[in-house]
Amino acid sequence: MGRYIVKRLIYILIVFLILSFLMYVIYDLIPFDRARELADAQKAAYKQDPEGLERLYQRYRVELGLADSSGNDINIVRRWLNWLGITKLNGKFNGILQGNFGVSYTNVQKPVMEVLREPMMNTLFINILATIIALGITIPLGIFCAVKKGSKRDTAIQVGSIIGYSLPTFITAILFIFLFAIVLKWFPVSGQETPGSQLTGAARFFDRLYYMALPLIIMTFCSLGGMTRYVRASMIEALSMDCIRTARAKGVKEKVVIYSHAWRNALIPIVTLVVGWFLGIFSGSIMVENIFGLNGMGKVYINSLNANDYDVVLTLQMFYVFIGLLGNLLIDILYGFIDPRIRVNK
Amino acid sequence: MKKTLRLVAVLVVLVLASTLVFAACKPDSGSGPTPGTDTNGVVNNDFKVGGTVILGSTTQMGGDFRWTGLGQSSANAADQDIQGLTTGYSTMELNQGGSYVWNNTVVKSHNEEVIDAGEGVENLRITIEINSGLKMSGGTEVTAAHFLAYTLAMSTPVSLEALGYNLAGQAIAGYAEYSAYNGTNDGQAVSTRYGSVTASKKFAGLRLLDTYKFSIEIAGPDYYPYYYADTYGAISPEDLNLVLGEGVEVKDDGDGAYLSDAWYATTTEGEGEEAVTTYDKDAHLQASRYDYYTYEYTGPYTVDRWNATSSEVTLKINPNFAGNFEGQKPHVETIVYRLLVQSTQFAQLQAGEVDVIVGLTDGSDINQALSLVKTGNYGESHYDRAGYGKLQFNCDFSPTMFKEVRQAIAYSLDREDFANTFTQGFGSVVNGPYSVNFDSYVELQDELEANLNPYSVSAVKAAQVLEQGGWIYNADGSTPWDKSKSPVRYKKLAATEYGPNNINQSYKGVGEDQNLATVKIGNDYFMPLVINWMSTEDNAVSELLTTKLIEGTALTNLGMKITKTETNFVKLQGELSRIPDYGYGGTPTWSMYNLATGWNTAMYDYAYNWISNKDNEEMYDAYIDYSVNFLSDDEPLSWWDDENKGLTFDEAVAKAGGADKLGMNYISYAMVYSVDPGDVDEYNKWFYQYLIRWNELLPDIPLYSNIYYDCYNSKILNFKTSPFFGPSDAILYCAVSSAQ
Repeated sequence: MGRYIVKRLIYILIVFLILSFLMYVIYDLIPFDRARELADAQKAAYKQDPEGLERLYQRYRVELGLADSSGNDINIVRRWLNWLGITKLNGKFNGILQGNFGVSYTNVQKPVMEVLREPMMNTLFINILATIIALGITIPLGIFCAVKKGSKRDTAIQVGSIIGYSLPTFITAILFIFLFAIVLKWFPVSGQETPGSQLTGAARFFDRLYYMALPLIIMTFCSLGGMTRYVRASMIEALSMDCIRTARAKGVKEKVVIYSHAWRNALIPIVTLVVGWFLGIFSGSIMVENIFGLNGMGKVYINSLNANDYDVVLTLQMFYVFIGLLGNLLIDILYGFIDPRIRVNK
Repeated sequence: MKKTLRLVAVLVVLVLASTLVFAACKPDSGSGPTPGTDTNGVVNNDFKVGGTVILGSTTQMGGDFRWTGLGQSSANAADQDIQGLTTGYSTMELNQGGSYVWNNTVVKSHNEEVIDAGEGVENLRITIEINSGLKMSGGTEVTAAHFLAYTLAMSTPVSLEALGYNLAGQAIAGYAEYSAYNGTNDGQAVSTRYGSVTASKKFAGLRLLDTYKFSIEIAGPDYYPYYYADTYGAISPEDLNLVLGEGVEVKDDGDGAYLSDAWYATTTEGEGEEAVTTYDKDAHLQASRYDYYTYEYTGPYTVDRWNATSSEVTLKINPNFAGNFEGQKPHVETIVYRLLVQSTQFAQLQAGEVDVIVGLTDGSDINQALSLVKTGNYGESHYDRAGYGKLQFNCDFSPTMFKEVRQAIAYSLDREDFANTFTQGFGSVVNGPYSVNFDSYVELQDELEANLNPYSVSAVKAAQVLEQGGWIYNADGSTPWDKSKSPVRYKKLAATEYGPNNINQSYKGVGEDQNLATVKIGNDYFMPLVINWMSTEDNAVSELLTTKLIEGTALTNLGMKITKTETNFVKLQGELSRIPDYGYGGTPTWSMYNLATGWNTAMYDYAYNWISNKDNEEMYDAYIDYSVNFLSDDEPLSWWDDENKGLTFDEAVAKAGGADKLGMNYISYAMVYSVDPGDVDEYNKWFYQYLIRWNELLPDIPLYSNIYYDCYNSKILNFKTSPFFGPSDAILYCAVSSAQ
């Protein structure tokens, strides 16, 4: 097992490096010049001195690692290595390996990690809750539907889930805001806390929870359909297995048949999805965050893309690549625990 | 099964009903703007202090409230609002009309004096005495040193290292020498971007004259003579501890203000080649910039709480604030400033989550706002936008280099209809680069409206100007133009009309129209009247323009063809300004773009936007980056001829042989560099001629100018905004009704 994990980690490293280079090249191809933008921001101050502006531009190119101190372009491979922190930039190692993920220029010029800290906390806060609630509803519901396959309740849930699954998130969000925030006034329209509140501790937590309620309901509602149907399908397949028939023939209690025998067999395809969901808690919801004005990762991501803030975008994408690769490893290991027939040590 | 069907039916009905109710809540359409409002925003200090107002912005705050955007590529608009609310006592402030005016609450007296700086150079010395007794939020009295600290600090290598900025004093005499001083090189020759200068610890043009008096010497010839030179004297005081930290003093021994040695103290870490020396104040500046609670504020409000989690800031009234330029003090006790979501802004307004929504331009939004106003619970303030959407031309190549072509497009486009359609009745058309709120425009309005050509739709005039411009040929070089022979008109190019690098000799349409290309017949080149238009994707203006210009028959009947290319904004920028790093391929291809422009202040400086390429190629190369339209219009007077500088308008007209002979290059410089600060009458003559000439050359075609609506909770009293005076400015004049 240990050897397998080490081997997979080495693969992860190789894939990560290849993907990081591809990503770096793709963003480098986009026609945008940060040095030019920084220099142009001071254009007015150089009205009398266009050559000074050009020198300033060259200085920014050197500072940003686009050119060496003589003004010569640095080739993309070397820039990529500098960015990773494997080679020296302007005399020192100063890349991802050293904890320097670059600078964000979207709002205020700040290190990328500083820009991502608050949104990441917000995203985790809302997504962890949404994921737990959604799984808490969908798994029992899916099992119930599978067990009661063909019943009226199953049909009703299938119809409801297909509607929920088909509606785009923004439509659901707008309808829910209209219904719950405007008509019923149960929840606030947007925001994360009561405006101007000075609450602390538990009071603040509950205030935040109140503001998060509607986004949470929407995120949960939107994810019910897919997972419910997936669990249902998986359980139906598991319940039709010979071993289940044998267990029932042996007089095993129905609950034990369902939750011990069938559910374990149904879990293998579901675990991929569930782990994927948990990995998704880092990535935020662009739609929900934008509609509710939440300061989360989805909003940062889209804002950064719109503002050509590629240090942030690259950092996020590499983070998601890393999480994705790690998630695959985790899924493979979990398979072994769920199904003893699967061995992952080779 | 029946029960299930019933359940499904109920669900579907519920969803449909919700949608219908939602749709039914859309506002009435078709009603126009109501003239005037019941608020006028006049100075009122009789209100009682109290209440809370929640302002919102669709821009997410970044927390950079002290020196917003300093040393950065752009400034965050929401942060700027907070900076404006927490910073005050500037010697000059922007009024509702966007003009800088002296702040009499702060300035006891001011005196401008022209100083002979030698070698024919004149500087403008502005001596300012401030009132005593002005207090910051913590009770510290404001003195002259508080006004000088920022300029002194932010002109040094220390601020450059810490914040990437050292240009605060660049307009002041002695800046080059002062900014070169690094704490150890006083009196030594230093190579800078200004050439070799003698570094000086003292800022010669900045003087601390006594506790309440200081002077600023604006440097000639780069910054004086200049119509707006006095605005360089617009400086705000700052908490000395915020800017300078512990142990640094502002001093003046009689020959220039300076900072004590502690400002330049350094620390070296490491040894040999690895040794790194940093200024001790580097860390202080980086920390104080984001320290909202330690240092005092000079404005009407102080930051009470910055919530980075929700990007929300709470401001509390500064009871020590003595007032703005009109003596207006704040009366709203608490301001909460938060992120506003545009798609649900009306719901937020009605739920009380925000008290003001601003900048409504969409017709349905405005109608919704007006229907809210009818309930009596909300008010509105509307004003003409200081700016407009436009068609912008590159004027150095392709058919758009000829003014007759630009004029023909204007004659072929019903701009009134365009503006009305696009703004859904809440907009107007302007005939030049002005805001109807500019003081100068207001002054000259009747004369300008009588003399600016509105380019009313006329196929006859469009054809006439094209014929006058020589667009009379068929593709085979025969004339007159006959649509049955040649779908587009051609023009025989003179040798001076080949464009940069003779680009017009190989000019052609893009895409399906690349067969429409310049043809060589004999020794002559004939250019087709095909215009390559570039636009951004998913742009409502582009769609309407497509309907009017491409799908309509006006231009095709005229013998003109427009091709359309959609792209992203970066690529468009690259082509527009010819920046290879933004995707410009090296050959100009597109010469028409739909963009928008606007003004944040009434300062109107278009020098450098017009290029002189005939007498001075160096100048052309150097300043082409500053040019918007690549248009040269420099006959017969050249600004670069010294004897033409400093002429009054009347003298220049006499020398040129008529006002209509003055070119844009000359006018644009003279209107700001030949007019003394404060000489409004002289300035207005230039301003008028600038608009008249611009209207004739038509480097852009203004398409629409919106009417902006702001909608607010009627608990806010005395709320009045203008294009230059947004909610964060207007709120100073307001109070909350429940507190009265």
